[in-house]
Amino acid sequence: MSDHDVHSAHAHGPITRVGDIPTHDDHGHESGHDHGHGGIGKYLLVFLALCGLTTMSFLTYSSFWPWRDQPHVGWAFMMAVSCTKAMLVVLFFMHVFWEANWKYVLTIPAAMMAIFLALMLVPDVGMRTRMVSQERALHMARASDVRLMEQAAESKVLAEPAAH
Amino acid sequence: MNASAISLPHGHDGHSHGHDDGHHDGHHDGHGHHGPVLQYQPGLPLSRGKLIMWLFLSTEIMFFAALLGSYVVLRFGAPVWPKPHHVHLSEPIGAFNTFVLICSSVTIVLALEAARANKAGLAKLWMLLTLLLGTLFLGVKGYEYQAKFSHGIFPQAPRSRIYEKPDLYYGSAVRARLGEPAIIDKLKELDDTPADQLTAEQVSARMRLQQIRKMVTSPEQQAFDLAVVADQVMPLPTDGQGGSHGGGGDGESGGHGGHVSGLNDIFPWLKLPAVIPGGNMWASTYFLLTGFHAVHVLVGLIVFTILLGYKLGPKDAGKIENAGLYWHFVDLVWIFLFPLLYLF
Repeated sequence: MSDHDVHSAHAHGPITRVGDIPTHDDHGHESGHDHGHGGIGKYLLVFLALCGLTTMSFLTYSSFWPWRDQPHVGWAFMMAVSCTKAMLVVLFFMHVFWEANWKYVLTIPAAMMAIFLALMLVPDVGMRTRMVSQERALHMARASDVRLMEQAAESKVLAEPAAH
Repeated sequence: MNASAISLPHGHDGHSHGHDDGHHDGHHDGHGHHGPVLQYQPGLPLSRGKLIMWLFLSTEIMFFAALLGSYVVLRFGAPVWPKPHHVHLSEPIGAFNTFVLICSSVTIVLALEAARANKAGLAKLWMLLTLLLGTLFLGVKGYEYQAKFSHGIFPQAPRSRIYEKPDLYYGSAVRARLGEPAIIDKLKELDDTPADQLTAEQVSARMRLQQIRKMVTSPEQQAFDLAVVADQVMPLPTDGQGGSHGGGGDGESGGHGGHVSGLNDIFPWLKLPAVIPGGNMWASTYFLLTGFHAVHVLVGLIVFTILLGYKLGPKDAGKIENAGLYWHFVDLVWIFLFPLLYLF
């Protein structure tokens, strides 16, 4: 049996792509496939795409971004860019694009649970400030505090003595 | 997978030795004469190491999904959330770090390709480059953390000098800080310094500081006064997110992200409490998210250091692939962290 195990470790060579296994029709086919997707050119292309996408999300920060007064546009845009980048990394750098169907077994449940996890936080955490005690309301920062500070910044109460 | 997966590294076909005694050799002595031949079939068509790495990564997806999810929910549930510049985040630095991680993802992939192509030297070079890029990322991260710490932004209370709003608690905290013996000495020293030994900015700041000292101790103090104090200590970032800082941001001495210099920037020893509405929650989430990410980067760097001790030939390709999978995942997390933390 141990004899068997030793062989079996080698036996799924076609799958592990260990590469030290002599030619073997299955492996040969697989490694041929391997070279097909392993091209350095393809990786560089993905790299350039990632750089371009990073620049695009950085664009929302620059003054060229036309929707500066509507942050939601920028947020949606950045999330779309991030998802595209994530897809590129997962599909090509992590080789998922070329993997067999087992990839769905792992990724889809994990992705769904991740989404549910975030959604489950919404009632208790996301809506935590809808109804708060008076005590809490006294001590938490509110939009009025930001306005007060903005007014203080504009008032220039202290700027005057500095002038003369 | 099919039955031929069991075939031996002797050029036999899988089905040729199952029932053919003519091709008998040493490996078949123990079995294969009678009854069915037991054959190994992996449950999933991938190596054990890779399977375990993917299972681990799916738990990691959950781990970061929980962190990122709670960040997003906390952030959008909060009535006020600080602007990136108010907490001294610098978008160009964040973008640079994104670029560094993307580069390191490419280099680890190239290391894997080189190892598969039996170019061990080249694989080592790419691996070393990956290690250096990861270290650079951590270095930049450390620099960013330092910028937060120097502004009194810490995740927890004894060191953190963040106040949520310019209220009485804030006023008493400023008073307490100004009343510390060391600060009293420093203030006296500052007051006695002749104006020609100070820069124009420092002279003006000294004047404002003197007024603030009067304001926080004044019996006729009003809520608005404390807002003025807070604005002097650490001003709100000037209008909006970015571009408009181009002009105003260049002139300032500190250059942290493009905010207007406050008293804490001009006199670093002052370390007055500052008001950042929503800043405490921000600090908790920021340090938790980037801290866990940095720990993952550190683990990756340790793995790369260990891998550098191997030959990195075709035999080690599996190890590089698994380390690479992990590293790409770390990159992936940063891809989401960067816009969520720096640009939102």
